[in-house]
Amino acid sequence: MTGDRSEWEPKIVGFLCNWCSYAGADLAGQSRLEYPPNVKIIRVPCSGRVNPLFVLKCLSSGVDGVLISGCHTGDCHYSEGNFHARRRFTILRKLFEYLGIDPKRFQMAWVSASEADKWAKLVKGLVEEIRQAGPNKLGHR
Amino acid sequence: MLRIAQKEELQKMIDGFLADYEVIGPRELPGKGIFYQPITNAQDLYLGERFAIEPVKKFFFRPSEYLFEGGLKEGSEFLEGIPLAQNKRMIIGVRPCEARGLALLDKIFNTEYKDEAYVSLREKTILVGLSCQAPGKDCFCTSIGGSPVQARGMDALIFSAGSKYVIEIITDKGKDIFDTCPKEPDKEEIKAWESLKEKSNAALRKKIKIPESLDNIFESGYWGKVSSACISCGVCTYLCPTCHCFDLVDEERKKLRCYDGCAFSDFTLEASGGNPRPTKMERYRQRVFHKFDYFKKNFGEHLCVGCGRCIRHCPVKMNIAEIVDQAPV
Amino acid sequence: MSEELKNKAKELLTNKKVDLIIGYQRAADGVLAAPCFIDSQDDAEKLIWDSYCVYNLASYLKDFPAKRKGIVVKVCDLKSITVLLQENQVKREELLIIAASCPGVIDEKRLNPLDQQAQEIVFAGKCKTCKTITPAYYDILINEPQKNDKLSEIGQDEYEPVRKLEAKSIEERFKFWESEFSRCIRCYACRQICPLCYCPKCVAEQITPGYFSKGVNLEGNLSWNITRAMHLAGRCIDCGECERACPVGIPLRDINKKIEKEIKELFKYEAGLSVEQKPLLSCFDKSDPEDFIK
Repeated sequence: MTGDRSEWEPKIVGFLCNWCSYAGADLAGQSRLEYPPNVKIIRVPCSGRVNPLFVLKCLSSGVDGVLISGCHTGDCHYSEGNFHARRRFTILRKLFEYLGIDPKRFQMAWVSASEADKWAKLVKGLVEEIRQAGPNKLGHR
Repeated sequence: MLRIAQKEELQKMIDGFLADYEVIGPRELPGKGIFYQPITNAQDLYLGERFAIEPVKKFFFRPSEYLFEGGLKEGSEFLEGIPLAQNKRMIIGVRPCEARGLALLDKIFNTEYKDEAYVSLREKTILVGLSCQAPGKDCFCTSIGGSPVQARGMDALIFSAGSKYVIEIITDKGKDIFDTCPKEPDKEEIKAWESLKEKSNAALRKKIKIPESLDNIFESGYWGKVSSACISCGVCTYLCPTCHCFDLVDEERKKLRCYDGCAFSDFTLEASGGNPRPTKMERYRQRVFHKFDYFKKNFGEHLCVGCGRCIRHCPVKMNIAEIVDQAPV
Repeated sequence: MSEELKNKAKELLTNKKVDLIIGYQRAADGVLAAPCFIDSQDDAEKLIWDSYCVYNLASYLKDFPAKRKGIVVKVCDLKSITVLLQENQVKREELLIIAASCPGVIDEKRLNPLDQQAQEIVFAGKCKTCKTITPAYYDILINEPQKNDKLSEIGQDEYEPVRKLEAKSIEERFKFWESEFSRCIRCYACRQICPLCYCPKCVAEQITPGYFSKGVNLEGNLSWNITRAMHLAGRCIDCGECERACPVGIPLRDINKKIEKEIKELFKYEAGLSVEQKPLLSCFDKSDPEDFIK
């Protein structure tokens, strides 16, 4: 990872739920919407599947930002997975903030299968925010 | 060979060392305790009676270090070892028990098998000790071949005598660095130093008896009883100046060596899922036997220096000294 | 008070009401206390009860499966048993809870470092803001609970250290925790002493996949401490054992308290209040806050 800001491009990992957000991102691609290529997408069954350790592993491996995206509340394919995720990651985010880790590096969003526009806008905004936060110094690799 | 210096003179000498050496010494972190850390100024040093929480072991046998890195780079194989120590270091304020601990570790890492990382750090480091005048209540070094004024393993040993310091020079390395201190103590001062040594020895009150061999109580129910409070953490082994067990871990393309301890339940866990030391009893017994039986058979002395760290910092007040003392041999 | 405890213990063991009693005895140094496990009438003489009985003995319950265990508890320790019951880790019928009126326990770290004698008793941080005096439930109560007026200074804010840190800038906070965690030696005493860290295999020992470095470095130390704190979110009852056990003095309670404070504000949840309560992270409320979610 280069520390030189002029060459540095934010690396972001996105955990996207199979039923809404992944399909939404897919639709953005099919609709030829343009957005920055900085997000590496990992498809998960549900946002509730994401373990805080996944986020930690990303950040400690030198990833600059992590995004978790799932169905809107009430629309979860498994009824309540995203409610659980919401609670869990609210705490994690508060903890990050408290320990001095920029909360910009850890974000969540609800993107449905039809919200290709929202997805494209979200990624644009996210990349800008993480650019501001700068390279992640936690990662050793 | 003896030298004597005023407090200010010694401080000046230490400030002088800073130009040529990386100087490490005990520092007080308020509310946390005493820690060995690199210093930038002789004023930083804590030369009082309290012990550092971690022994100097960690500057030679590191808590974790990358041994080598290997893999494919641009299509061809590569293997890089860790760079060995280059810079000259000096550790000031080492306690006699910790230095003796290093002398014991030398038997493991610097005799038949030579651990390159360890040996290079040992060679590059000068050890300047500090005698203990008010040993803690958990110290028992005199029961196990040590003493609060013993110089084994050090290059020089400092005694605090009122407004002055008496410096006992032991090795050539020690002679070189204290070249700048030409003043030798006179007869009176030597006498005072001798009586200071006696006083220090007498100040260490805790005496324990260590059985010749523990062989015939290996199967005793005693171990189950004394180990029941153990919580299987790594405090005693990680803070011990002589414990030297480690684990090898692969992390990406690197091989990492980090501390491991016999108290952990997965220490002897095998890939099959079997574990020859499944309970606290077997694990604690192993710790006692390694220190007070096996090591003596293999290397001629006990693998314990009586510093009392494992007693002082045990979260549940396990007391290895009492346990050995009361062993039903 | 110790006498009453001894007599009760003898009675329980004679009548075979319990197989063993987990309690406190005087440590070998004659000053501090140490955990003890009493299974005979004669041994019951060893039992003590005073301000030196700092340990939360609930972490020993898992060592004696399928035995009827008597356990001496303080009010704060009882909460950890509540969480263990809530999470089905112990059976209530195997437990005989001996609640002892708590005089407040000492802060071991504030003892004279050279001889560990207490000149004057300094109470542990948790005791200074302890609000509960009466145990929620018990089988035997030793002595009527009464408030020690040295404790619970009126108006003292239990989250004061947390608020102080919160007031700092994010960079300052990172610097603070970086320096605290830099001392971590990964001895896992915080985990082993914790009555609620009972996983048979800890993620810190896992290597396939290995979630964070086993090495003593910023990445590994920070990851370990975040993981520990997250796994106790909504479960930690602030017995403070992790901080006490930490040999290098990392202020672990300040992390636990932060999470405790947040979940109180965000989810109106407090750990260890009742056995019937659902664990915080296995339930949800449709109206949970989600300000940060886009």
